[in-house]
Amino acid sequence: MCSVLVIGDMHVPFRSSGLPAQFKKLLTPGKIQHVLCTGNLCTKEMYEFLKSIANDVHIVRGDFDENLNYPDQKVVNVGQFKVGLCHGHQVIPWGDPESLALLQRQLDVDVLVFGHTHKFDAFELGNKFFLNPGSATGAFNPLNPDIIPSFVVMDIQSSTVVSYVYRLVDDEVKIEKIQYTKK
Amino acid sequence: MTQMEDQEKQLEFALASVQKQGVHMKMCLDKNKLMEALKHASAMLAELRTSLLSPKSYYELFMKVTNELCYLDLYLVEEFERGRKVDDLYQIIQYAGNIVPRLYLLITVGLVYIKTNTNLKRDLLKDLVEMCRGVQHPLRGLFLRHYLLQCSKNVLPDIPDNEETEHPEGTVRDSIDFILMNFAEMNKLWVRMQHQGHSREKERREKEREELKILVGTNLVRLSHLDSITLDKYRKLHKKLIQCSIKVNNPKFEPVQQKFHLLCYPFVMWKQHLQVVLPGILEQIVSCRDAIAQEYLMECIIQVFPDEFHLYTLNVFLKSCCELQPSVNVKTIVILMINRLTIFTFHNSNASEVKLFEVLTEQIANIIQSRDLPLEDTVSLQAAMVGLALKCYPDNLDYVDKSLQTISDTFAKRKIEKISHKNPVSRELMALMKLPIDNYNDLLLVMKLKHFPEIIEYFDYTGRKTIAIYLLQNAVQCRTMIPSVEQTEIVLTMVSPLVKDQPDQPVGEEDPEDFAEEQSLLGRFVHHMKADEPDLQFKILMAEREHFSLGGNKRICYTLPPLVFQAYQLALIYSGKRKEDELWEKKCRKIFQFCHQTILELTKAELAELPLRLFLQGALTISQINFKNYETVAYEFYSQAFTLYEEEISESKCQLAAIILLIGTFEKINCFDEENAEPVRTQCALAASKLLKKPDQCRAVAISSHLFWSAQNNVGQPLQDGKRVMDCLKKCVRITKQCMEVSVQVQLFVELLNYYVYFYERGNNNVSVDILNQLIGQIKKEITGLTANEETEQITKHFENTIAYLQNRIESADTEDSVFKALEGLML
Repeated sequence: MCSVLVIGDMHVPFRSSGLPAQFKKLLTPGKIQHVLCTGNLCTKEMYEFLKSIANDVHIVRGDFDENLNYPDQKVVNVGQFKVGLCHGHQVIPWGDPESLALLQRQLDVDVLVFGHTHKFDAFELGNKFFLNPGSATGAFNPLNPDIIPSFVVMDIQSSTVVSYVYRLVDDEVKIEKIQYTKK
Repeated sequence: MTQMEDQEKQLEFALASVQKQGVHMKMCLDKNKLMEALKHASAMLAELRTSLLSPKSYYELFMKVTNELCYLDLYLVEEFERGRKVDDLYQIIQYAGNIVPRLYLLITVGLVYIKTNTNLKRDLLKDLVEMCRGVQHPLRGLFLRHYLLQCSKNVLPDIPDNEETEHPEGTVRDSIDFILMNFAEMNKLWVRMQHQGHSREKERREKEREELKILVGTNLVRLSHLDSITLDKYRKLHKKLIQCSIKVNNPKFEPVQQKFHLLCYPFVMWKQHLQVVLPGILEQIVSCRDAIAQEYLMECIIQVFPDEFHLYTLNVFLKSCCELQPSVNVKTIVILMINRLTIFTFHNSNASEVKLFEVLTEQIANIIQSRDLPLEDTVSLQAAMVGLALKCYPDNLDYVDKSLQTISDTFAKRKIEKISHKNPVSRELMALMKLPIDNYNDLLLVMKLKHFPEIIEYFDYTGRKTIAIYLLQNAVQCRTMIPSVEQTEIVLTMVSPLVKDQPDQPVGEEDPEDFAEEQSLLGRFVHHMKADEPDLQFKILMAEREHFSLGGNKRICYTLPPLVFQAYQLALIYSGKRKEDELWEKKCRKIFQFCHQTILELTKAELAELPLRLFLQGALTISQINFKNYETVAYEFYSQAFTLYEEEISESKCQLAAIILLIGTFEKINCFDEENAEPVRTQCALAASKLLKKPDQCRAVAISSHLFWSAQNNVGQPLQDGKRVMDCLKKCVRITKQCMEVSVQVQLFVELLNYYVYFYERGNNNVSVDILNQLIGQIKKEITGLTANEETEQITKHFENTIAYLQNRIESADTEDSVFKALEGLML
């Protein structure tokens, strides 16, 4: 089995002062093999934090990232899965499943990870899995007034992805499980 | 022969002799020939008269000899207990030829007497400790007295002193006198070592003294082990008295005063003992005028005596600190004491009987006055006091403040203006400043310390910046919120080296990575200056901008954006309070004015990408709040962004990213009336088609097609202008055909096919099966001609995925789903 941290849209320091302490306690080295980050970190310290969790860190560029070295999109192979990664502000209308499906077909991936809306989302479309980990810091977004900080850990084993959604509701971490199996 | 080898040889001879005489002594004892045995014992002990051995070797010899003497001791005790008294033994030994063996034997025999007849205890102990004066050679004397102390370990009287009854075997007072005298004599011997021999050998002598110090210190250990010195014994007695008094309690006849006196008696007795012990020791330490002895013994006192002992004798102890030799490091001694009492008081809250902080403050002031302490030592003494205050009196901020004030006064008195970070004073002061920050873990409490900010001012630029970073890191980590304008002002002044350039800032470039890290810390902290009440929050934001605007171009790109986002959030809060606050619209307008100005400051700093994005986020926020004339405000924000795009962004990659963001944002803004919306849509599409590279043009125009479909105006309906969507996509096809590279063409065609399918599915009647077939045919024709490589493989896969998707939709469409039924005409 392989654990993949899916996280993004931290927006430190512009929209948030940092990760919630409860998340920091959970995000420690040794448990995670790969990190997929949807971007908008926006600082070097945040990158270093991700790097401290696992050595294999993949990042795409968010609309507020100044680091020009981050690509717009990326494909990562994890076990039997091809995982596509894109911040999502380039996919219009933002967060629209059909538009995201266009990108999924282009990247030829089983799982498409995206962000930008700061709202956790997970759905299957045409037996493909679409996942938005939300904002790990609960960063402000004008279109989404009630933001809940969240991130996802995907446990990947043969043809199944079990996603654990971590959400901070009223200062308490709530965990939800979502399963996706590739046909 | 080297000195080392010589030592070894000497020791070897001596040990051999001891071994030989020891065997003889034992043989004689076994045959009950006591006098013979004593002769051999005396010969054995005579080896300790040597002056040739180093302290280390002498110690080895001493151990061997005293080990052998044990046999004699055991024999004598056994004989005495059997009733065989040798009354004149003590006198007989007095005739032993040489003083060293004689005294060792006297001690051995004397202690046997004491063990078998306790009534002799007091007088014999006194006798022995006096007689040891006969040996004045430091090394020999020290070990002899050490032997005395060792032998008397278990026989020292330990009965509390009571004037009313006679104790022939002695009381604790006798033990105290005995040890104090032994201590004084040993200390004198030890100090005298310093003054013997050539001054060349000073270093070697000091090393030897170092090796012997523990012998002197053992006296203090012995004193501290007397039951009558520890409070436990008196506690038990006190408890017993209470139990008794309850039994006989008769309030009528027993005045409260008297009862109180009775119950306190054990403590009074205890304190009386303390008042004998400590002054006795201190007098010796002070009067020996030897820095090495003073430093070691003062530390020894702190370590060996119990906490309560120190608590009640603190004044005496600290007073004598003033009188120590100038070269003694008094700071270390006092700090050791403070730290010890800190730990004790922290664990025993009932120790409050003594006004510890006040006593220490007063005494430290005396010490500072009477000794010319270096400034850094004065600071570290206060640091220890701050540590005590924080740990033991956490609620009493005044204590910490008092120490800070003392420092401030001292600096003023010594006319100190700025302290370089390279100066040891700065290092000590920094350690002190971090204490309240680390202990309170609450910036608001730190700010309550009145003298904290004024001490910050004494540091140089580097020092002040270090404190600023430390303060902010703590606040961010502990999630401390700053809830008022006044406190915001104070904090931003305290962290001013991060906020703006400083007059004393060294010239030259700072490390850009460090600078970025510091500034983003300040940016993070912006989210911590927050009041619950919205009007107050706005005032805080304005106060912050006053400060941040002074930061210059290099800082404002870190500090102003968080401010803008906080302001956007505040506007949404007012929007939520529209029913409670009738002025909410005016306030929202004011907030967006504030944001507008703030973002323009960034454009003046010749930034473009960042203000463009901030304006777009603002337009989105405004579109969510339906306040009066919000449309024009939103339009202003959006058009500012567009102007920045047109005028300031020149790099083609950045242009593509920006136009996509402009389009994506506009798609979500639903407050414009058609009169404003239409030109923007056209502008976006036009700008997209004007990008430098053809593929960029094609992709941007394709994306702009969404503006004519899902985007809404203020009527609240998606535009769904199928014709305009088609215009966009047709334009894309034309642009694609202009691309030179076939692989790029095919890739763009596949992407466009997906767009057509997308809008077809969404019900755009203008997309016909014919158009789709045309595109599919075109792709099929060209895709076979591509040279096989990774890129074409991706294109092929993309195309296959699209076809598979369509097939899947057609197959799964039921009869009523006419849209997909119609697709059956596709030539897949």
